[in-house]
Amino acid sequence: MTSIIKFCALSGALDDSPHSYLLKVDDFTFLLDCGWDEKCSEGFIHELKKHVNKIDAVLLSYPDQLHLGALPYAVGKLGLTCPVYATVPVYKMGQMFMYDWYQSKDNMEDFDLFTLDDVDNSFDKVVQLKYSQSVPLKGKGQGLIITPLPAGHMLGGTVWKIVKDGEEDIIYAVDYNHKKERHLNGCELEKIQRPSLLITDAYNTLYAQPRRRSRDEKLMTNILQTLRGGGNVLVAVDTAGRVLELAHMLEQLWRNQESGLRAYSLALLNNVAYNVNEFAKSQIEWMSDKLMKSFEGARNNPFGFKYLQLCHTLPEVLRIAGSKVVLSSCPDLECGFARDLFALWCSDARNSIILTSRSGQGTLGQRLHDQRNLKSVTLELKQRVKLEGAELEEFRRKEREKNILSGIKIKDQTAAESSESEDEVKKGRHDIVVRSDDKTTGAVQHFFKSSKKHPTMFPYFEDKIKFDEYGEIIRPEDYVIAESEDHEMADYSVEKPKWEEEPEAECPTKCISTTTTLAINASIMHIDFEGRSDGESIIKLIESMKPKRTIVVRGSSESCQALQNLCLSTGSSDNKAFIARKGETIDATIESHIYQVRLKDSLLSSLSFGKAKDAEVAWIDARLTYQVNLTDLRDLDDKENNSLRKEQAPLLEPLEPKDIPGHETSYINELKLSDFKQVLVRNGISSEFIGGVLWCCNGNVALRRNESGRVTLEGCISDDYYRVRELLYEQYAII
Amino acid sequence: MAKRKNDVQVPAEESDLLVIRPLGAGQEVGRSCIMLEFKGKKIMLDCGIHPGLSGMDALPFVDLIEADQIDLLLISHFHLDHCGALPWFLQKTTFKGRCFMTHATKAIYRWLLSDYIKVSNISTDQMLYTEADLEASMEKIEVINFHEEKDVGGVRFWAYNAGHVLGAAMFMIEIAGVKVLYTGDFSRQEDRHLMAAEIPTVRPDILITESTYGTHIHEKREDRESRFTGLIHEIVNRGGRCLIPVFALGRAQELLLILDEYWSLHPELHEIPIYYASSLAQKCMAVYQTYINAMNDKIRRQIAINNPFIFKHISSLKGIDQFEDVGPCVIMASPGMMQSGLSRELFEAWCTDPKNGCIIAGYCVEGTLAKHVLSEPEDITSMAGQKLPMKLSVDYISFSAHTDYQQTSEFIRLLKPPHVVLVHGEANEMNRLKAALIREYEHDPDTQIRIYNPRNTAAVELHFKGEKTAKVMGSLAFEKPVEGQIISGVLVKRNFKYQIVAPSDISKYTDMTVSSVTQRMGIHYSGNLQTLQAVLSHVSPDVEVIESDKGLKTFRLFSAIDVIVDKTLVTLEWAADSVNDMFADAVLSAILKCESLQGSRTIVLPTTVDHARFKECLIEMLQDMFGDDAVPKMFKGDKFIVTVDGKRANIDLTALEVECPEDVGFQQVVQTAVLKLYQSLAPKAEKVK
Repeated sequence: MTSIIKFCALSGALDDSPHSYLLKVDDFTFLLDCGWDEKCSEGFIHELKKHVNKIDAVLLSYPDQLHLGALPYAVGKLGLTCPVYATVPVYKMGQMFMYDWYQSKDNMEDFDLFTLDDVDNSFDKVVQLKYSQSVPLKGKGQGLIITPLPAGHMLGGTVWKIVKDGEEDIIYAVDYNHKKERHLNGCELEKIQRPSLLITDAYNTLYAQPRRRSRDEKLMTNILQTLRGGGNVLVAVDTAGRVLELAHMLEQLWRNQESGLRAYSLALLNNVAYNVNEFAKSQIEWMSDKLMKSFEGARNNPFGFKYLQLCHTLPEVLRIAGSKVVLSSCPDLECGFARDLFALWCSDARNSIILTSRSGQGTLGQRLHDQRNLKSVTLELKQRVKLEGAELEEFRRKEREKNILSGIKIKDQTAAESSESEDEVKKGRHDIVVRSDDKTTGAVQHFFKSSKKHPTMFPYFEDKIKFDEYGEIIRPEDYVIAESEDHEMADYSVEKPKWEEEPEAECPTKCISTTTTLAINASIMHIDFEGRSDGESIIKLIESMKPKRTIVVRGSSESCQALQNLCLSTGSSDNKAFIARKGETIDATIESHIYQVRLKDSLLSSLSFGKAKDAEVAWIDARLTYQVNLTDLRDLDDKENNSLRKEQAPLLEPLEPKDIPGHETSYINELKLSDFKQVLVRNGISSEFIGGVLWCCNGNVALRRNESGRVTLEGCISDDYYRVRELLYEQYAII
Repeated sequence: MAKRKNDVQVPAEESDLLVIRPLGAGQEVGRSCIMLEFKGKKIMLDCGIHPGLSGMDALPFVDLIEADQIDLLLISHFHLDHCGALPWFLQKTTFKGRCFMTHATKAIYRWLLSDYIKVSNISTDQMLYTEADLEASMEKIEVINFHEEKDVGGVRFWAYNAGHVLGAAMFMIEIAGVKVLYTGDFSRQEDRHLMAAEIPTVRPDILITESTYGTHIHEKREDRESRFTGLIHEIVNRGGRCLIPVFALGRAQELLLILDEYWSLHPELHEIPIYYASSLAQKCMAVYQTYINAMNDKIRRQIAINNPFIFKHISSLKGIDQFEDVGPCVIMASPGMMQSGLSRELFEAWCTDPKNGCIIAGYCVEGTLAKHVLSEPEDITSMAGQKLPMKLSVDYISFSAHTDYQQTSEFIRLLKPPHVVLVHGEANEMNRLKAALIREYEHDPDTQIRIYNPRNTAAVELHFKGEKTAKVMGSLAFEKPVEGQIISGVLVKRNFKYQIVAPSDISKYTDMTVSSVTQRMGIHYSGNLQTLQAVLSHVSPDVEVIESDKGLKTFRLFSAIDVIVDKTLVTLEWAADSVNDMFADAVLSAILKCESLQGSRTIVLPTTVDHARFKECLIEMLQDMFGDDAVPKMFKGDKFIVTVDGKRANIDLTALEVECPEDVGFQQVVQTAVLKLYQSLAPKAEKVK
């Protein structure tokens, strides 16, 4: 029954590259996560390409790039065809991540590593699951059951449990968070005991986080100071994962009247903000107990935002008057609106830029994080602009020539084709429609049409005219025909053509790139909102879990080493721990010795069970036999598989009393002296602890417990001795 | 031994008897409450009230059970006849098990029951529970997502979508390998927002299903919808007002979706307002807008674009005073059967005008106005007692999302459960359904389906001989099993699963630990060492003498008990187990005896067995056992005969063997006695060869 388990890291080994691992259980190959780094590096793709045909199933744990970024490429360009398993929110939010990532990249450069169709195709392969839903695999995977378990960190985050033949349990747990957060429950790793194999990351093993409270206060003070100083705050977050926690938290801050934040604006800016918000609203059942309770009790959706405005373009944000806090993607500042805003705002000392997570090697986010006092930064700023003037003419001419050459005469088609090559994004082509109309950003949405019918005229409010003893009160501003108003108008009209012409998507565009050096005067702060467990807690979790085998992935070599040592030191001596290296195959096979037997009723009824924890235990002496007696035959169902099974499993039958061999008594249960003290109290025996020894009956009897759990009962011969002994025996299942 | 146990009483968890007993909804509709008992586990399915009764009378027959013994309570959906008694049961009884329902059900339950409390406060003063009880009950209810597996004390269960209403679930319950599917109310027809009830992927052994519609067959969905919208169109076209009395939650949302869609497709109707008058429904709209994931694919896809539960053409109406009755309109108002409230008021106001129309869209109970008007009477009696001529048109279109015969039959055909238990149906309907199903499988020798329709409190008893299998693990299973091999180990039984492991492997394969207990007992001893040693060697077959490093003399007896002598204190130290404890007691008594013998004489120990004495003792013992006549008084040599009831047993005293070909049992008894006697007399060295 021993299964051959092999593991190979494609990425995410001994460094902080994204997660992607191959796990082979007998003949079935899983791809655990399929992340891609911020730069879409080719190296990993080569690795993946070698194995793509062998993969039988993909398991995704979180919706971000780090865990599924390469999936569209794998499906679209490498021809990955196997089913992908993910929870419902990972499916939904994963799509959002990919759309936003694509859009952000496409806004900067001609991005062709994957298309939006690849994204849709790859997500069509996803089998959507609920937590604790067991999925038995078919075909080659016969006997394998996969189950997603809650992991915290992000909405729908998953710790995967893979069970082979009901015995070998493999746990794949990376980036989990054991702590309860505002919108998420913690992971449930503590419920897992002694897994056969644990695959986990060492990213945070040596990492200590500030306390949640001080972290939140830091964010709050930073925001307040910046806003009061007339600056803007850019919070670089991800698209649809951790952003929910921050958005919910900031919204709560704004709702609090005393926070003094209402004078300022709060905005969420990314390409899919509206959809992210809608999906968050419809996935309350995946969130924390507290949010769920408040929804059941008060029916207000925690993601029905009142203050947070959803924005989909940069101008929309810039149009918001006054100081503002903007949550924007991507957290690494490599692409997306966050990079644009950074470039816009970093030179102004009044502004503040908040990084909420660590990011990969070579990204702007990482540079800012590592070099705290960076004074200036040289950036390559890329932008997609519309062709204008001569260039446009040139482009049109070329297109025409091309068409003439290829013999196509229909004018309309030329336009369509030209846009095909340059501008992949067309709104409405995909089922996710990016809504940018301001109506939806309003926080209060009515379920029904308002019962009051609005008159079909421009709303006009007649002000009550106020009089004092000199007559009507004059408002001086009514009589100013000043330039200021004009100026405002002009401002708006200048802005308008630039951005409101967007619907004309057919317009040919090009990508330009400029390298500029930007002075960094804005305050840059790193406040950890990653939502991963800290090192200390990871150690505690693993110590209590006591995995038999451990594979350590992703993390610096020191932290991997630390985690490996920890796993070797906990639990029994035959534990093994490996550190994954890229491209190296680890054999994590566990020799297991198991076979099934049937129990005869007469055997069971002759046993005397004792209670231990939540189970019952008994000593069993029995003879194994393959003979099927007549009574059993009669019970056989006509179902074939049933009878087959019966033939296979041997039967255990009771022994003749004379054949029963003796056995040593086992005491099952672990005794805690403090618990035993309670038992003594209940039975009217006084006892007290002195120096770790429990003295009972005025010091006549002593109980010690050494490290290995061995309990020593010591005392002079007396009635008390026997009474204490009797109570002590009751604490065990003695068999 | 096993037989005797059977006669007395088989403990519940070992019995193979499975009992299903409806405490409500047995040959009736309303107060669903079904008890499922198997292997000592007690599970309650639903806990509703009877809508036609009030106060304690409306409860299911819960006095027949002990609430504190119930392990698990599952609620299928939020209708009053399925969860109406829940706050009472959770707060006013001794129930201490766990209670589960789906997220949407829980969210709506809170508001639906709150509304129920308010409404019935007017009619009855003996309320079962208060708003505070309801609020408190929320704490005790746990939520379960569809397909999520839960395990409560070995009972494994999970939920399937049931259609019917938002959040409605069918529960699959597995106890010790036996699977029971409880459908609650279900519908196999997909509609605008709900999916059709799922077909479970595993086959249940027992199906407990509703039978509300018995052998009826529903009108096709398209027909019924077009009839509905057509009727409304006609009424408003003729300048009339259209009243649709509905129950606030459930089907009403489906009707709203139909109307909103119809209106958006017919711009000419945009001038005609649609109102929905239910504060409860408005409260719960947020739930509908949130738990999109419990609905069908269409809605789930649509959510990406817009929320279908944000209606464009339907306005909410708080009360009749807000309503300006000017010209044609459509109003959906609760209650659904027009017992009182807004729907009744509107009906009375509009019934005299033949242009107006009323569409009854749901199930009506006998004795309500809705049922009455379906018979098209000449006039009706108003709430105030006035007679009003009834001139408006009345139509009945059932939008009830219950399974019909076609769906039930298909469902059963796909699942082929060996046992089907019918509940939640009026007695006649149930009988018809039972007969029809039996007829369907009459000539099918391959399928054996037994159908039961128990009355309330009547139990269906089924036997499931669960095969008990165990897994032999770890060092016990190093080698492949062979015929006749003897397996000795620890059997661990948890949640109806068995494992056999070696004691040394317990901590490896279970979360239990094996501990050990050492005992150290001190006794005062004032005698000399030699005497003690002599006495001890008399007690134990072997005495090992160990000099400890402190210069203390230690004797090890039975290879287990250490006797440490330190001047006048003798300490006994041993690892506790039942055998060693007994040895220790023996050593202890020997030491105490030794203390009392102090100084009288030194004891000389025999070195060989005195044969004559052994014979003497043997005769005496056998006489005690079998009577004086069974044994010869005297005998010579080493052969010896015992006669009991004509059976002779030959004893060979040198080999210590007993022979009795006629009765093996007798032979064994004598053999044991002879051996034991010899061992007790033999000194340490001379063991039985």
